[in-house]
Amino acid sequence: MKKFILVTLAIFPVAAVSAQEVAPVLTSSPAPTVSNATPATAADVEALRQQVQSLTETVKTLQQQVKDQQAALEKANLTSESGLPQNPEPSPIAGAENSPTPGASAPPRFPTEDTSVVSSTTAPAVSGTPAPGGFPTTDTSVVTSAPETISSTGPGASLTQPITIGGGRNYMNISFDGLFGLAYSSAKDLDNIEVGDHDPQQRGFNARNIELAFDGAVDPYFEGFANIVFKLDNDNQTDVEVEEAFMQTTSLPFNLQLKAGQFFAAFGRLNPTHPHTWDFVDTPLVNGLFLGPDGLRGVGAQTSWTLPLPWYSQLIFASQNGRGSTGFSFRNPGDDGMFFDRITTDREARGLQDFVWIPRWENSVDLSPTQVVLAGVSGAFGSNETGANSRTQIYGADFLYKWKSSHAEGGFPFVKWQTEFMYRRFQAGRGADESFPVAETFHDWGMYSQVLWGFKKGWVAGIRGDYVDMQDSKFTDDLDRQSRWRISANLTWYPTEFSKIRLQYNQDFLEENFFLSGRQVESVFLQWEFILGSHGAHKF
Amino acid sequence: MKKILLLLSAILTCSFSAHAKLNVVATLPDFGSLAREIGGDKIDLVVLAKATEDPHFVDARPSFVVSLRNADVLIDGGAELELGWLPPLLQNARNPKIEIGKPGRVQASQGIRLMNIPTNVTRAAGDVHALGNPHFTVDPIIAKAIAQHIAQSFSAVDAANAGFYDANYKKFEATINAKLQGWGAIMLPFQGQHVAAYHDSWPYFAHRFGLNIDVFLEPKPGIPPSPSHLTDVIGQMKAQKIKAIIVEPYHDRRIAEKVASSTGAKVVDFSQFPGGIPVTDSYVRLIDVLVSRLADALK
Repeated sequence: MKKFILVTLAIFPVAAVSAQEVAPVLTSSPAPTVSNATPATAADVEALRQQVQSLTETVKTLQQQVKDQQAALEKANLTSESGLPQNPEPSPIAGAENSPTPGASAPPRFPTEDTSVVSSTTAPAVSGTPAPGGFPTTDTSVVTSAPETISSTGPGASLTQPITIGGGRNYMNISFDGLFGLAYSSAKDLDNIEVGDHDPQQRGFNARNIELAFDGAVDPYFEGFANIVFKLDNDNQTDVEVEEAFMQTTSLPFNLQLKAGQFFAAFGRLNPTHPHTWDFVDTPLVNGLFLGPDGLRGVGAQTSWTLPLPWYSQLIFASQNGRGSTGFSFRNPGDDGMFFDRITTDREARGLQDFVWIPRWENSVDLSPTQVVLAGVSGAFGSNETGANSRTQIYGADFLYKWKSSHAEGGFPFVKWQTEFMYRRFQAGRGADESFPVAETFHDWGMYSQVLWGFKKGWVAGIRGDYVDMQDSKFTDDLDRQSRWRISANLTWYPTEFSKIRLQYNQDFLEENFFLSGRQVESVFLQWEFILGSHGAHKF
Repeated sequence: MKKILLLLSAILTCSFSAHAKLNVVATLPDFGSLAREIGGDKIDLVVLAKATEDPHFVDARPSFVVSLRNADVLIDGGAELELGWLPPLLQNARNPKIEIGKPGRVQASQGIRLMNIPTNVTRAAGDVHALGNPHFTVDPIIAKAIAQHIAQSFSAVDAANAGFYDANYKKFEATINAKLQGWGAIMLPFQGQHVAAYHDSWPYFAHRFGLNIDVFLEPKPGIPPSPSHLTDVIGQMKAQKIKAIIVEPYHDRRIAEKVASSTGAKVVDFSQFPGGIPVTDSYVRLIDVLVSRLADALK
């Protein structure tokens, strides 16, 4: 109580001083005249301000002492009652009446201070006046005088202001992701059964996707993204792949965006995504066999345009080199210089026709507040290496439906149904130097459809059907040209969004054709994953 | 062909002509409700998250991109609550009007002193927010600060109606100031009491009304309750004679009921968001309901 009196005594002179010295300025010279007398008053005000500030400091320290004392008292009282740890903060109900904060009384008398400090930001608690004797309606302890302390990770942060992640200040987000699998299969050649490069490749343990991801704002105009993947092959040797590394614009007008570098083609739903976001352990057959084991990606440029329509509608158009195994159905020299049994030409680009051109149009509407539908069509057009003028066209259509409960906790429960369909027209030429007896055109198609049911927070059950129809040919015995289907079921537990454990069962049916005998394969996978660092939020 | 062109132009004009009112997007319903207080009928308001769903995990729906693209003002928390879904939406929306630092961007946490800022940010502690606890709007004094921030933004973007926004802010401020007396009086008898909650969303509410909401059914933020942790909680609640367990619409109420039945406490349905529980269509009514419900349970 003594301290309280002391505080009140200390506040009093502050108020008195400020009232005495500021009041004449306020009363004798209303707003217009202030500007005339600026040079004199500015100095005065500055001096006053310093004086008030030093007094405010004194009051603050005294207040703190009172608070500490109160806390100590309260602690002593309460612990003697219950013996339990207490909230060290004094109750605002009890405390606020006793401690009218200096900020609430002093600043309104200084109009100049208000305009210079407050106008651009907020100092709202200061503006109110506490109701005498009642519940406090202002509380300076909940607001800060420096609102700039909160910055954000969003794009468009200025060059000099580092983006903030995890409370620290960085110019770049870094994350590390480890995805591992334990596999059993009735087939010894699991690497022929699984069509994706990040799928389990052998019986036993597999580490096919260990990735480092970087992203951040480059400057006010661009943002950058890179994904470096380390894979351990079946002999435990490390392969490194620059999966993606690109920059994209952040502030082009007319809802346009440009992207350039090494990136996944925006073909369908699954191709542009990273394996750790997949709902199954392995790549769908149609993706692996048409777009390639590593997906369709390459060095290139892309432009996208969000149409000015009332619903979400986006056009994307990309061009990539389409060369090598990441341009699988295009300028791909194949393993050992062979593709579909032809000796490949492996030539340099002759013109625009040798690039892969990838258009996409996607649309999305909300059927209801809990249901979303997204549908898209994609294409990929280019030449291939099986003949001088042989071309490949791939057409795709994809559909996603998602329901999520209006009372979802942690994003659960939900139901997600995703389907992709692809058709490929592949002109297989006669190979280098017309060495193969015939030219043929293959019409292949395939699809997958999967349903994921997040039935409980952290738990997801999934089922997927896969089918690929490869046109029969009397001339090739390429394993990649075998029609096949697969059915998969899995159960995933996400302890948090940064880890997962997944058990999956696959049944594969490979159909008999002219050269290859049919067979059935059963596989079981156990997959586990961890993510460190600030991994970028995922797109829908 | 003519018909198609006509249709197309109709659609285009439709999408361009909706500019009579200020287009406001709020990430969460609490900010939406404050925006409505200030903007009244001079704004078209879109709220992204539903009042009944977990604000930490909202799907980044493509339709949200369209809303953000057309926005004149975006109000978000700015304290990482929406970290999991807002950044990709903003990236796709490509709207310079709502970039950080522009008058069209209100980050509600700006100027708010956040509580429980972790000294050591580790995910071993569960879903911690590095910048501090982001569930701050439930403190009416903080709500006033956010409302003023919103009014400033609206006035900067839509200067013609600045007087209207300012008057609405003044009205809101006066309402809260008056209401605080009543709320404070209702909560006064329970000052210092301990209350349990499913998730640590209530430090600001507790601070304002002198409560200790410090026993949580979740062992760590975002981690589902385990049987062994619940046993500890039950022991703690009995020892402290805790009479109320706060649950939010998206929490598993059965778990709270189980704990309640073995401790004699009452389950109290709370929401951080207007509309999350019945008859809470505005911010003031939400706090009315929260205060009276908790007081009933603590009696």
